[in-house]
Amino acid sequence: MTPKVCLILREFRFFNRAWLQVLRNLGIDYTLCTATSGSASASIQTPQGVFAAGSADLRGYFRQFDAVILCENGNSLAFSSVINYSVFWLSWNDPEDPAFLFFNPHFSTAITDSAYNTNFPSDFPIVRPSPSDIAGTLYPADGGSASAENPLASPGTRARGMCILFLAENIRAHVQTICNTHTNNIPYYWKLDTAKHSALANTNYTHRVARNGRAGEILAVPAPPTSSEDTETYPSDCVVAYRYRNCFWLPHAMYRAQRAVNIWDADTSAFVFWLLYGLQAAGVRPRYKLPVQMETDHPIDSFDDTAPFNFSYLQQMQMILVQFDYMRDFARRKNTAVINGVRVGGRLRRTSTSYHWNLMYRTSVPAEARAVAQQVNQLLIAGHREGTTPCGVHDHSIGNSKGYWAAAVNTGFVRHSGMRYGVPNDVPIARGRCCVAPHVLPAGVAGADAQTVQVGDTELIEWDIPTSGAGNTFDLPMDNIHAARVIIESEIEEMLALGFPDGYCGGHKYTNTAANNSGGECYWQALKEFGFRGVRSASTCNELHLTKRVVPNRLWHGFHLIPNTGFDLQATGTGYTRGLYYPNSPPGGDGVRDSELDHGNDISANWTTSAVAAWRAYRRVVCQGISNWLSTTVVELGGFYIHPYTNSMIMSLSDPLARFDGWSKQNVIGEPHYCHPVELLENMDAVVRLLPEYLYWGTITDVMDHRERVMG
Amino acid sequence: MPVRFLRNASELADVSWETPLPVQVANAKPVPADTLLVATTTVTTDANRDLLGSTATELPTLDGCGQYRKLVWFYFRAGADAATYRVLARATDHNGAPLGAGWQEIVPATTLPGGANSWGRIEIPSAGDGYYDQYRIEVQRTAGSNYVLTSKIVGVR
Repeated sequence: MTPKVCLILREFRFFNRAWLQVLRNLGIDYTLCTATSGSASASIQTPQGVFAAGSADLRGYFRQFDAVILCENGNSLAFSSVINYSVFWLSWNDPEDPAFLFFNPHFSTAITDSAYNTNFPSDFPIVRPSPSDIAGTLYPADGGSASAENPLASPGTRARGMCILFLAENIRAHVQTICNTHTNNIPYYWKLDTAKHSALANTNYTHRVARNGRAGEILAVPAPPTSSEDTETYPSDCVVAYRYRNCFWLPHAMYRAQRAVNIWDADTSAFVFWLLYGLQAAGVRPRYKLPVQMETDHPIDSFDDTAPFNFSYLQQMQMILVQFDYMRDFARRKNTAVINGVRVGGRLRRTSTSYHWNLMYRTSVPAEARAVAQQVNQLLIAGHREGTTPCGVHDHSIGNSKGYWAAAVNTGFVRHSGMRYGVPNDVPIARGRCCVAPHVLPAGVAGADAQTVQVGDTELIEWDIPTSGAGNTFDLPMDNIHAARVIIESEIEEMLALGFPDGYCGGHKYTNTAANNSGGECYWQALKEFGFRGVRSASTCNELHLTKRVVPNRLWHGFHLIPNTGFDLQATGTGYTRGLYYPNSPPGGDGVRDSELDHGNDISANWTTSAVAAWRAYRRVVCQGISNWLSTTVVELGGFYIHPYTNSMIMSLSDPLARFDGWSKQNVIGEPHYCHPVELLENMDAVVRLLPEYLYWGTITDVMDHRERVMG
Repeated sequence: MPVRFLRNASELADVSWETPLPVQVANAKPVPADTLLVATTTVTTDANRDLLGSTATELPTLDGCGQYRKLVWFYFRAGADAATYRVLARATDHNGAPLGAGWQEIVPATTLPGGANSWGRIEIPSAGDGYYDQYRIEVQRTAGSNYVLTSKIVGVR
């Protein structure tokens, strides 16, 4: 069967194109239909004609689809007309009718449309929200605090924290969940009419989406706390997802705004989980599942000053070791691969203890710490060989610490020895004085050093090419393929010296670039020459220098430029995280501050006086991470990454891999313990287990294969 | 009964999504155009702000465009408040490096046509062929309030 859905929207100028991007990535066919208004008297404009919203013709038209998706939503319970036209569909419950997916539906009592109110099913079991009686008709969620802005928007920050229990699957998952909101910017869950639900749950009903054969089914509720510290509880009649016959009442899925899914960089779709969940529940079988994978940058790295934790190098390396031991095991169990960008450059160009090589070999690092760093390296090599922790080059020692082509000239560049471009070979390092198309090059013009240079589909003759001489240190112009070759070979040489068999993640032939700078065409060409299939890259692919952007479709002569999404618990420039939240943190120095999660100061004001604040911070941080990761996976087909070493000092030294347990499990400064890779991977695993028809643990190779499949 | 066909000389295959019936395209020519950008831009009074929201003046809006004779910029503007657009272009060498700093201004600051909720179409360059490698397209509001501009740019070979 060809998966096929119908999307109903009101206005294209408020239509988020991420709806369609997700469907295209999944290989689900779709048809767009527009409503002429929000009222019950609206007509639905379809490619086969214009039908009245309650007409038999429209019902017949809908029957070709697996599901009908309502795309409109609002952020005010006082609205009188948003999707009133859909009220008729709540009664189209025959087995031939499609599933109807209502995301963050507007069904408040402020709707005065008599056609809506008279046709609204009398047995519908969710209490209609009332703007004049919010407390009696809805439950405030996530502490009940107000967001600073519309919580339905999704900028990649300001997450609301929720842990949801999916009843049929018996799985708890941290997914951002807002059933309805109002102009007060407070997220709400729904209140169930238990008598009506009981009646529905005892009524036999036949439809392919009714898994339990009953007319009503509670799909998901707020998960009960796992700790007595967590006093954020909800009444037993609180629900977040419900199936009413063949109609799914689901939380918010997509921000209603004109959002282009830019060919380079999509907006964050923080609530996309619910779209996937709704589609799966509706029995829409996608042509393709989407691969989930995670990357790390700087698997071995450290800080000199680690206040207030005051971790030694040894302790830092120990925390890194346990994280990678865990990630390797996770990858083995789940058949995924955690890609790692090894911070090369320490062997030749930098003495800092933030470099992989230096932490293993420099005597400025204590011997016992070096020994553990070498253990981590051995673990990574073993994982590289077995496919669980493939490693590639990631070079901050060039381009003013920003990587490929991040500067016009790399002053005092130090190259390697041996191989093709190393000392003592006198090799090209800059663009030749002349370059012309070979077929019009007059004989005798090119000098004796003439050579053919190819970048992409352009082939030229270059001569009078500046060269390195025999030395190892020189100023290196970064804007050319010769420089790119020298740089990349030096990086691979260091990887080989570290014991890795290659510098491009084995069979994946991929790496995550330093600062997400992939350079430009000359670097992409050189990387191809060294065997790479793709790299992770920002849209602005030579940041600092800022003269380049990646090619529009992110596929350059078969070379992939994978979008990037990073998520750590601190802002760039603050070094390492101080915790989920830490009262004395510098700006951006903890997870709550970095992702703007202190809604109404309900974490900062209560941190030392109320234990629930830590659980609130935990839920929001994890929801933010899972949202950003899922959006990257599902919308952008990109690469999600973390820096384990920046998050490692907030872990308990004695029990570093423990799950979060509030104040019951503390780190060395007496703040709540938190292990970033454990929490992200375990929570994403819950999402993958919830959505077996839509997601699977895969690899970056699967991502690149899928980009070729659906992007052409 | 599944539909089957002879996939190779000796292999019978069921028709499926993975193995569709072989077809031969007839009377069709490849479309010589690629979609290069779809973006929403908030039009503000910022100088040097391009369609992707960047004010870094050396940063292209579009790169790798050397194969295109012309760009066609379709847009929908949500507001009527006066705005100008400016188009800059330059060539790169085979490494992808701009031949020099700065840009060739191929369209000086010009009034962006259209009113509120109106469509527009601008060819770049307006006459002759482009074949520039990089373009920077800037928009700037000169009166009134911010509004959203939705753009699609197609490269035509």
